[in-house]
This record gives sequence, structure tokens and C-alpha cells, in this order.
Amino acid sequence: MEPGLLKSADWPFLIDLYFFLGGIAGGAFVIATVATLLDAQRYRDLTRVGYYLALLAILPGPILLTVDLGIPSRFLHMLMVSKPTTAIGMHAINIGPFHLKPFSPMSAGAWALMVFSACAFLAALLTFLEDRGNPRLGTTRLVIGIVGGVFGFFIAAYPGVLLGATARPLFISAHWLGALFLAVGAATGGAAIALVLSLVGGQTSDSLSRLMKVTAIALVLELVFLALFVVSVSATGSRGIREALAQLLVGSDAIFFWVGAVVVGLVIPLLLQVGGVIRKATPGMTALVSALVIVGGFLVKYVIIVAGQRVLS
Amino acid sequence: MARTLAMFTDVSLCIGCRACQVACKQWNQLAPEEPEWTGTYQNHHHFTDKSYRLVRFFEQSDGQGALTWHMMSDVCKHCAQAGCLEACPTGAIYRTEYGTVNINQDICNGCRYCVSACPFGVVAYNEDTGTATKCTFCNDRIHNGLGPACAKACPTQSIRFGFRDELAAQARKRVDDLKRMGVKEAQLYGEDQSGPVGGLNAFFLLLDKPSLYGLPENPKLPQGNVLVDSLLSIGAALMVGLGAVVAFRDRGGKGSA
Repeated sequence: MEPGLLKSADWPFLIDLYFFLGGIAGGAFVIATVATLLDAQRYRDLTRVGYYLALLAILPGPILLTVDLGIPSRFLHMLMVSKPTTAIGMHAINIGPFHLKPFSPMSAGAWALMVFSACAFLAALLTFLEDRGNPRLGTTRLVIGIVGGVFGFFIAAYPGVLLGATARPLFISAHWLGALFLAVGAATGGAAIALVLSLVGGQTSDSLSRLMKVTAIALVLELVFLALFVVSVSATGSRGIREALAQLLVGSDAIFFWVGAVVVGLVIPLLLQVGGVIRKATPGMTALVSALVIVGGFLVKYVIIVAGQRVLS
Repeated sequence: MARTLAMFTDVSLCIGCRACQVACKQWNQLAPEEPEWTGTYQNHHHFTDKSYRLVRFFEQSDGQGALTWHMMSDVCKHCAQAGCLEACPTGAIYRTEYGTVNINQDICNGCRYCVSACPFGVVAYNEDTGTATKCTFCNDRIHNGLGPACAKACPTQSIRFGFRDELAAQARKRVDDLKRMGVKEAQLYGEDQSGPVGGLNAFFLLLDKPSLYGLPENPKLPQGNVLVDSLLSIGAALMVGLGAVVAFRDRGGKGSA
């Protein structure tokens, strides 16, 4: 009786899409920043693609989120509204009409999305200006890159923490979703850069091979966090939670989870990478592996959100 | 803050007349809804955006052919630590000076995060207004010296309204009385302010274990996960960052294939 009483937010596909694109944006931005920190000259192409991709992937975010609201014209209420009271939650920070609620991942996420979007825009702009032969903007871009990198991690991870802070049976005792979503973001972000680079062509396979390596590391972490998520949720006894997990692992969502997220998105790309793609990253194989990682990254988030929101009778 | 107000719903006195449900609908001007066949007198299955009070009906078999008929008038619990309030990114959900939890309809933008954050499945999304709605504890009435409409309408005083400390004392005495009368399983739900979610400002006297009434035995504040989840995410970020450094650091030109 217990699980059926709980309600679902019934977030539509728009939200799944935003969580996926946000992960790509955050992951691509972080990877571009790390690469440029280590060798700005050698990874020039990689960094450019990374920053441009981050901007492109985050651009639809605010639109998708606003369209989903019951009253889209009130989108600014996420950040500011004049309130009759400031008793709006624990450790809420109220400055004038602005508010930040650190224990509401959606509130913190709205602010982070704003900061990250600004960083993604500036990083792409500075990259563009540098390519046009403007005076060296490297230092400014580095600062933007580091600040944006921190918020990029945040944008990739917070949707998982946000789900974990709901009463949904699949999420209420889960602790690894933020870490999992962050790893998925890094894997899909790296794969997206690699996909673009391998399609554009003219690359030494050095950059591709290094991208395959960072993607493989993220995939291993993703696999570990996914296993920890499943094991930790199944270890908590409640019947409702066990039913919700069964829905994901053996119920109607299981095919997406096992075939899509685990086999296509994790096992096959990892086997290909370890089996030779990292050592010799040809554009064709890199594109194939990257596409699999991106599809799998979408599916693992999608299937978890869908299974978690499904109301069990 | 003013003295905390509360509602005390004593299930042992409920006769299932649903006057509370009707009074709530009338006072709050909630639109009619298509009835749902639930197999009992209960209508609807769950709280909706237009039903803030809900009398639950169900039968319990002792396994030897005897049935006990249970009825319980359920409502928003106005938790001392409220999942919906903590989740709300807009500040629309706030705590009143009386300790109740209310949704400011002029601020809510319909993100529906509160709907999934309520450990009791109370908050509902209203498609017509595009906002989240729930029991207001008759916010307009309590600010004008009246009790909630449901408590006013209840003919058996199964729903009582008053100051929390006074009601809690009454509730504890009532449980003792019932136990003396042989109702062994009588128990309070949400009266204990040191209990889960800091206690409920709408608390209950139940005649059996909470799960029988569809209530979680040990409700959790979902935001209790945020700190741990965030720390684990930071750990993951460090690992990914380190992985990226390992992948991109120069290894004496060996990397260029």
C-alpha cells in the first residue's frame, strides 16, 4: 500500500533531455579545461570543440526547463521573487528578492545553470576571438575555464542529487545518483568531443586516443557507481523500494537498462576501447565508440528517471 | 512565532461520514471531480489537486473470516520538517507563524518538485492553474480565529483543532484510555516531535500499525540525502578530474601515434 500513495512529478521527456544535454555540456567543458591547462597548444582543436559543444549543449537547457513549468512566465521565481515571508526552508539565503536554498538541488541548480551558461558563453567567445587572431586571451579563458569547470561538474551531477532528494521509492535511499550522473556527463562529454573531432577529420590520432582514454576512465567509474546505486538501494529493506528496483532490473524498463544502458552504453564501448581503440584511435572506430557511449549515457539516465517516476500500485 | 497550531485526527472516533471531505471542498471552493471506483466508500484513491481531505476505507481480515472495517480521515501532515517546503525552489512553499505549511499560489511556478518530494504523497499538481496545491490548514480561517473547516464539520470530534501542546496531551491520554479498554494496537502517529520529520502538526491516533493505513512507518525527509549525495559527487568529480589529467598529461611525446 505504501508505495502507491506517493506521487510522481511526472516530468516529461523535456527534463530527461535537459539532464542528458547538461551532462554533455558539463563534461565537455571540464575536459576542454583540463586539456587546455595541460597543453593549450597541442589540444587547441580539442579545446575549441569542447567549449563550443558545451555552449551548444547548455543553450536548450533553460528553454526546456521553462517550457516544462506549469506557469512558464514565472521562470524567474526560481531565483527571485518578492516573498511575504523568509521562512522558506533550512539554511535558505534571502538577499532582497533573491533566494538560494542550498538543500533544494533545484534551487542551487538554477543558480549553477546561470553561472555555467555565462562561463560556457564566455569560454566559447574567447576561443572564437583567439582563433580570429586577437591578442592573447589565454589567461582570461583559463580563469573562465576553471570557474566554469567547477560549475560544469555541478551541472552534470546535480540532477542525480535532485532525484535523490525526492520521496520516490527508487531514490529515497539512493546515494550514488549524483556521482553516477557526473560520470555519465564526463563520458558523454568526452565522447561528444571525440565524435565531432573524428567526423571533422584531419586529426592526429593523439587527441582521439586521449579522449578515448578519459572516456574509458569515466565509463569505468560509471559502471562502479551504477553497481553501487543498485546494491545500496537493494540493501534497504522496504517492500516499496524493492518493488521499484525490480521495475528497473526485471520489469518493463529492464530491456532499456540491461541492453541499452549496460551492454550498448558501457560494456561494448569499454571492450572496444581496452581492445585497441585507446592505443590506436582511428576516426571510424572512435566515432563508433563515441556514438555508443552517447546513446548509452542517454539511456542510463532516461531509464532511471522513468523507472523512478513510475507509480506502482 | 506564534504558538504552534495542530490538527489531531482520532481514527477511533471516525464514523466515515466524509463531512470533513465535503466541508473542505466547500470552504476551499474546490471544483467537483469525476468519481473513482475504488471498491470501497473511498473516493478518490489519492489526494488530488481538488481533494485536500480524504477519508480512507479498507477492510482487515484476521485470517479466520472476521473482518475489521477501518476508516481514517487523512490530510496534509504539515510536517515540522517538510519535504515539499525544502524542495520548493521558488519560496512559494513557506511555514506560517502557526507552524503550518502553505503554498503561495501567486509564487508557485508549477515545477512539481514538491509533488515528488512529499513523503506522504499529499501535494498534487493542478493542471488548470499550473500550480501545486494541498491542504492549506484553512489558512484564511485560522488567521481569523476559526478552526479548519474539516474540524468544524466533524460530528464526532474525530478531527480536533487547537494548540499543538494541548492536543498532544489529549492524544496521549486518549491512547492510554483506549489501551485500558483493550485496544492493544492503539498508537499515535506523528505526535512525537523528536520522531521522524520532527513530528507532524496534523497527527493521528491509529488503531493499528501505520502501514495498514498506507502511512510510512518511518517517513524520511528526502533532503536528508543532499549532503551525502553531494559529497559523493564531489568525490566522483575529483576522480574524473584526475582521470582527465592522467589522460591528457604529456608523456614525452610517446602519446603522438
